Amino acid sequence: MSEPAGPAPRRVLLHVGVPKTGTSFVQDLLFANRDVLAAQGISYPADRFDAHFLAALDLMELPWGGLETQAVGAWERLAEQVRAWPGTTIVSHEILARASRPQVARALASFGDAEVHLVVSARDLVRQIPAEWQENVKHRRTVSYRAFLDQITDPERRSELASWFWAVQEVPDILARWGESLPAGHVHVVTVPKPGAPRDLLWRRFAAALELDPDDFRPDPDHANPSMGVPETALVRRINARVNDGVLANADYRRFVRELLAHRTMASRTDSPRLGLPPEVRAWAAEVSRSWVETLGATDYQVVGSLDDLLPDPGDQQTFDDPDLPDESQVHDAALAAVVALLEEATRLAHSEEQARAERQAAYAELEASRGPWFRTKRRLVAAAERNPVAGFGLAAYRRVRGRSSRSA
Amino acid sequence: MLPQDRLDEVPVGAAECEFVRRLAVSARDHADDDADRSAEEFASLADLVLSRSGPGRGRPAQPLPWPGPVDGSAVSSVPTGPPALDPADVPDAELIRVGCGVLAELLIASGPRGPAAGSPAMPRRPLLTRVPAFRIEGAAVTTARLRRRLADRGVVEGGLSPLVLLVGHGLDAMLAQAWSARVQRGSQARWPGFVARWSGRDRLPSSADLPRIAKRWTERVGAGNVHLMVRAGPPAGEVAGLLGIAPESGGAWSGLAPAYRDLSPAEVDVVRRVNAVLAVRTGPEHAAGLRRTLVAELADLLPRRHPPQALGVPPRLQPWARARALRMVEQLGSGGYVVHGDLERIMPRFEQPETRPPGSTVLRLLTLACLDLAGRNEQTLEGEEQRR
Repeated sequence: MSEPAGPAPRRVLLHVGVPKTGTSFVQDLLFANRDVLAAQGISYPADRFDAHFLAALDLMELPWGGLETQAVGAWERLAEQVRAWPGTTIVSHEILARASRPQVARALASFGDAEVHLVVSARDLVRQIPAEWQENVKHRRTVSYRAFLDQITDPERRSELASWFWAVQEVPDILARWGESLPAGHVHVVTVPKPGAPRDLLWRRFAAALELDPDDFRPDPDHANPSMGVPETALVRRINARVNDGVLANADYRRFVRELLAHRTMASRTDSPRLGLPPEVRAWAAEVSRSWVETLGATDYQVVGSLDDLLPDPGDQQTFDDPDLPDESQVHDAALAAVVALLEEATRLAHSEEQARAERQAAYAELEASRGPWFRTKRRLVAAAERNPVAGFGLAAYRRVRGRSSRSA
Repeated sequence: MLPQDRLDEVPVGAAECEFVRRLAVSARDHADDDADRSAEEFASLADLVLSRSGPGRGRPAQPLPWPGPVDGSAVSSVPTGPPALDPADVPDAELIRVGCGVLAELLIASGPRGPAAGSPAMPRRPLLTRVPAFRIEGAAVTTARLRRRLADRGVVEGGLSPLVLLVGHGLDAMLAQAWSARVQRGSQARWPGFVARWSGRDRLPSSADLPRIAKRWTERVGAGNVHLMVRAGPPAGEVAGLLGIAPESGGAWSGLAPAYRDLSPAEVDVVRRVNAVLAVRTGPEHAAGLRRTLVAELADLLPRRHPPQALGVPPRLQPWARARALRMVEQLGSGGYVVHGDLERIMPRFEQPETRPPGSTVLRLLTLACLDLAGRNEQTLEGEEQRR
């Protein structure tokens, strides 16, 4: 007679990146379907869509344009929820890819006795490099494409930019940092399908790694982390140079440049040339990708998809359009589209301000009407104290007496 | 910080190793009589450094160079992971990053404490006083010191229709004071970025915008009651004369700190870097208390081996600063204010070529502050254990 089955082990499916591999899409889907997951005994512990991002900032003590102030204690709160959930918990954020070994050790220890399964999603480097530069541009950087490529191809990785790039993109190293204390069977590599694959294939691979039934969820078919073309990226980089010296605060930049211009306006212009790699960098990136495939192929990691997906397709070699020397007429067109988008937004905000002003005036009039004669007398006396020394002395004495009374009350 | 049993499993990074070595050099140079206690304190501090990574962006932990194949090379032709690095070759910027994380950790462990922990609130102005109503405005650090020194003598600003004492320096010095004050309130801004942001907006920090302050007070008290103090040297003597009080004797200081301390650029740089760590580690109120402890630590406890020297306005922004100062001189000259000194002193002189504090100075300050705080934390722990 077999022994009765014990309770399911507490488990964490920990998705740590890498950026630009559909991670936001997965996180949005998980956040929107927390109830569906909970009904299946799976927790996605997040009270806001960026809860795991904040936890990652806390774990890694990372400043992030002021958002880090909302991250204080966020990792421990997340870990507490993991420890308290009796079944499976999913944690996902791509910047966790950058965690150092001490931070990884702290993170894994914080999950208590939960069985940790690591998930890393990966895409070929030839597509990742331009995407990362574009991400840099969308985060206010003004570095040229050539300078970016020079920095990331420096074998010493001396610059902050190169350090960050490799920390979040070097898949074998990320797997080594996060996975070295885990059994190989608990390490899952999800490969991003090559261009032209069925639209839902990436979701099906993620679902397999996260042990979900892909058909229980309805991904938005149009959801994609939008990417810009060559002239659009060149334009945003030029805008950065104009707004970085105090013209736009971080919160305003996020709202107007990243969201309104880059994501909603520039990324919708899909006819412009796409960003690629110059031939010599492409050849180098292809060689690095081959070495990664070799390295990963020699491990017992669980691959969802195919390691061949990480090799650039020789057939997709395109003409290289240099974003440092863009076609100015295309940049001009993009700039006009940006002006129109900003005019529409300015008009919308002006109307909204007019309406708010009218509502405020109505509320103020209502408040005035409700005030009695004693209040109006006091207000006249305070105004007189500004001009008359005797009245001023009397007001100061009154305020001191009132202050003492208030404290003792 | 990692528990000890996990610490042994994590390979040590070159920057962390080198920072421990720098701490050892500083500790040797400042060894006290109790060698045993110092050795114990140092061991705890070294464990702390080796158990954590530098905060924020920067290089990931770089392994030490060893002979033989590196990670990944056994399988692949392209090595993976950050390249190995001799600790002696770790750049100062990386050591500073590691040090700031450690210093923040020590501050959090110590908590706000001592006279610096509480906000040094100003006393209330007496209702009946012979001192005329007055207000002090202008250069942030100079006025904070002046306000505190006067308050120590019972001379507190306030009152109706005040005499307005508007203290000015060269615009570059006023900008540097505004930067220092903002950092002492929690800002993480670098000096070049701070100046660039004001330049980009063609505006000035409120404490440096003398025409705006003078205009605001003129509307309330008239231009004849606005005194511009733009002489060389501290304004305390002239202020005493205007208020009809005896000149400062020099000894009667309460020990309470002014709202902003006169920190060197390297000290301000340490505070701003630690601000960045505290912002993600603790809430704003607690961080403010810890920051006051740190500022007091830097201003009072560490020997001043490096005389404070202002940073220079970056060359590309100097034309803006000069034009802005010129406009300020013209506006103040035509405002009908009472001028003590020469308004030309507001013109920046750009005497300092350095636009950022030397990394070696910042690093030295960090090692001294870490050693001092670690020692005091250990002593506090010992005291608590003895009381139990």
